[in-house]
Amino acid sequence: MEKILTKKSFPAWVKKLQSYTVYAPEKQENLWSYEVIQNPDKLNLEHLNTVQAPKKITFPQREVFLQFNTSKEGKPQIKEVLPKEQPTVIFGVRPCDAKAITLTDKVFGEEPKDPYYWSRRNQTTLVGLTCNTPPSDNCFCLSVGGSPHAKEGLDILMTDMDDKYHLDSLSKKGEKLIKAAENLFKPVSPKEKKELEKIHRESEKKIKREVKDIKNIPDKLKNMFNSPFWDEEAMSCIRCGICTYLCPTCYCFDITDELTSTLPLNGKRVRTWDTCQFPDFTMHSSGHNPRPDKASRLRQRILHKFQYHVENYQDYLCTGCGRCISLCPMGIDIIEILNKVRDHE
Amino acid sequence: MVNLEEIKKEAKKILEEGKVKYIIGYAKSSNILMAAPVFIKKPEDVNKLIWNPTCFQNLVKFLLDEKRKKAREKEPDTRPVGIFVKGCDSRAINVLLQEKFITREDVYIMGISCEDLGVLDEKKIFKKLKDEKPEKIEFDQGKNIVISTKEKTIKIPLKEILAERCLECTSSFPVISDVFWGDRNNRSPKEPFKSLEQIESLSQEKKWDFWQQQLSKCIRCYACRSVCPMCYCDECVVDSINLAVTADTSAEEKAQKIKWIEKSPESSENFGYHLVRAMHLAGRCIDCSECERVCPVDIPLRLLNKKLEKVAKELFDYKAGLDPEQPSLVSSFKDEDPEDFIR
Amino acid sequence: MNENIYIPKLAKIIKIKEEVSGSRSIKTFRTQFVEKNGFSHQCGQSAMLSVLGKGESMISISSSPLEKDFLQFSILKMGRVTSALHETEVGEIIGIRGPYGNNFPIENWKGKNLIFIGGGIGLAPIWSVLQTALKKKDDYGKLTLIYGARTSKDLVFKEELEKLNKKMKVHLSVDVEEKDWKEYVGFVPQNVTDKKPSPDNSISITCGPPIMIKFVIKALEELGFKDEQIYTTVENKMKCGIGKCGRCNIGKHYVCKDGPVYSWAKLKTLPQEY
Repeated sequence: MEKILTKKSFPAWVKKLQSYTVYAPEKQENLWSYEVIQNPDKLNLEHLNTVQAPKKITFPQREVFLQFNTSKEGKPQIKEVLPKEQPTVIFGVRPCDAKAITLTDKVFGEEPKDPYYWSRRNQTTLVGLTCNTPPSDNCFCLSVGGSPHAKEGLDILMTDMDDKYHLDSLSKKGEKLIKAAENLFKPVSPKEKKELEKIHRESEKKIKREVKDIKNIPDKLKNMFNSPFWDEEAMSCIRCGICTYLCPTCYCFDITDELTSTLPLNGKRVRTWDTCQFPDFTMHSSGHNPRPDKASRLRQRILHKFQYHVENYQDYLCTGCGRCISLCPMGIDIIEILNKVRDHE
Repeated sequence: MVNLEEIKKEAKKILEEGKVKYIIGYAKSSNILMAAPVFIKKPEDVNKLIWNPTCFQNLVKFLLDEKRKKAREKEPDTRPVGIFVKGCDSRAINVLLQEKFITREDVYIMGISCEDLGVLDEKKIFKKLKDEKPEKIEFDQGKNIVISTKEKTIKIPLKEILAERCLECTSSFPVISDVFWGDRNNRSPKEPFKSLEQIESLSQEKKWDFWQQQLSKCIRCYACRSVCPMCYCDECVVDSINLAVTADTSAEEKAQKIKWIEKSPESSENFGYHLVRAMHLAGRCIDCSECERVCPVDIPLRLLNKKLEKVAKELFDYKAGLDPEQPSLVSSFKDEDPEDFIR
Repeated sequence: MNENIYIPKLAKIIKIKEEVSGSRSIKTFRTQFVEKNGFSHQCGQSAMLSVLGKGESMISISSSPLEKDFLQFSILKMGRVTSALHETEVGEIIGIRGPYGNNFPIENWKGKNLIFIGGGIGLAPIWSVLQTALKKKDDYGKLTLIYGARTSKDLVFKEELEKLNKKMKVHLSVDVEEKDWKEYVGFVPQNVTDKKPSPDNSISITCGPPIMIKFVIKALEELGFKDEQIYTTVENKMKCGIGKCGRCNIGKHYVCKDGPVYSWAKLKTLPQEY
């Protein structure tokens, strides 16, 4: 279902969505960030890339799994804590970030399913926005099978057409959103349709960065596990978590117990994000570490994204958003690494 | 003005002579507004070297990697590592020497004076550009930066977009070096702690609110710790395991490691992390402000460290990293120290 | 929604036996589920044990699946959670979730000779297969155990090993000479070379420290064992147990889900990162 919505009517539509928690990008100081929108009149979709992907909403950095305590009789008790079921809509989702959510869907959707992930995900509607101009200098979605107007993972794709938005409703969840304020939408005229196609075509041309012949890379990587290449590439890595925590597709996590008191026992078991870039991620209690240095950890990041995940799920674990490049304090550039891998002897 | 060709010549010479194992310097990165560290082993690669106000990084951090690597090797190459340092970076070397983390023979220090400039603040540039993307930059006689975007070319005096720390810098040239380029003119900025003014003027409640709001943004990527040359502990309060654990460490010792700070990015835990780090840097931070530069969520971390620097200056007349022989601030006391309880 | 995979089931400790004392203490725990919501397992699988407030630790199940009354775990005191387990007493309640991982393909081994090779606590993961094979002795050929530890004090299941002697061939070893030790002195791989188990119609199952496994495989290859005849178990740091948390992978395999049991034929094709 395709519709036209004037920009003037956009706040009115959002106001109709009272039963949802509405997130949209907001500029806080200098940075764009997904925040809960209190006042739809202030909403605008002119954001660049948000620092954090909407992953922070569908897969929050901290998730309480269960509470535990001891009963009066001194017996331990465990209480499951599932997230409150709250319909949520996220506006302004970039197609790369939406694709990323479909990738985590696969991991958390594989049996046995992850109940915490899905209780949030099932309640979430993703409203995307075409990147008429690339939101980052390091966008390379075209190289990894995406595009600035890709629909995968989205419930609605909006495209900015000056004084109006074109809306493409792609799922039942999307249709429900439009039905909430049906009279605000108009049908699409053939002229508008043509205009839309032009915007989409042009948007692709504006992506500057690319990884050529990416198809060869998974195979190439298979033979590079023991290459000194990784030592060289990792020299300037400082082993922080920026590349992975800000990655829309990275999903690795830790599970720990947090105590509020020991006597009587009272606490929570929580899931928090974790990253292959931290040395303690794989370190055994004995001190043995299968990935003892930053070279093996950088290799893991690249191989997970471009070899292992392809072998397991037939897709790259990367959607070309460019965050890991733009925000690496040392200028480590995944596109350059991949191009070097491709050209590696 | 510093001549890059002379720098390359010296780098080439010491590599050819085998005087150093390799040289840590700056090269271009795919981001035109930021240099990247480069590790040069072959004399012919010295042409990769650059020197300009995009050379933000404090390369001293990489000496920690080198030390750890050396400790693992059976027959390590004992030659020094060549390293390019700015004024602030050189003070980091002095602190590492003072703390006996490295020895003078480990490094061949290639000092470059920032003269009357320093490094850029990317955020200030972006403000000037109003979200337009720079496509090309040039430095015009060390005075201006000429930035071309798709729409236009603008010329900005470098002084308008220098990092705060450079505007407040009192010693913009390396205080320790084996080879040196540029001048050794001390600077005397009128207000060396100007950036603290605003926060100091706030009431206690307002300060609390400010930090509450800032630190709640932290995602615990630990980039601030990772980039800091003074953060070299094997055992850090935020890690789940002591990285120095070996097969011989007893189970008791491991089991008793206290979890001071949980992994959750909750405000209380974030406060714990950042305040512990700030206190551990008291009298050690040399104000390279890399922690603040790398923070992906823009927490003004430099304010914490700068405040402690100011306190150390006012109470103890102490500045970190000026001399490797000076007694360290927190492990020494003098009769004239202001607190009585320590005697 | 199905059962929440992250919620442990409560289980009572019904028996604790100290196998090895001292700084590298090993204890064997028998547990019974408090409610009738327990699970059954297969040889080689593991379970995630919880001490509430301390966390979770992945431990291999050392009892045979034919044993329906309890689950047994032999645990080396190593870090936070295992130390807390060592402090528990009979009657205390812990959490268990699982079972996790693949299993030894014992159905395919019927009629074959089984050679068990273990080092230190590494006997625990293969103990369930050994016990199962003993209980169904007629299904298998000759059974042999080659087992060693640093010192005689570090050997686990000492009482059981003595009884075992009557039912199968048992070759013990200690790493260095000690008083009154009448059996082999030397590392486990050397003992393998010394005892020369025949590869004919045989399967070898080995578990121990990574370095021991490496040299046992070498010794077995020299004796003529083919890659498909050598089985081992791998361990890595684990958190979720279901191939999602991302840390225990060896290449595309998650040890918690696709392992821990590997034939050498399979394991050698993976990146050697464990």
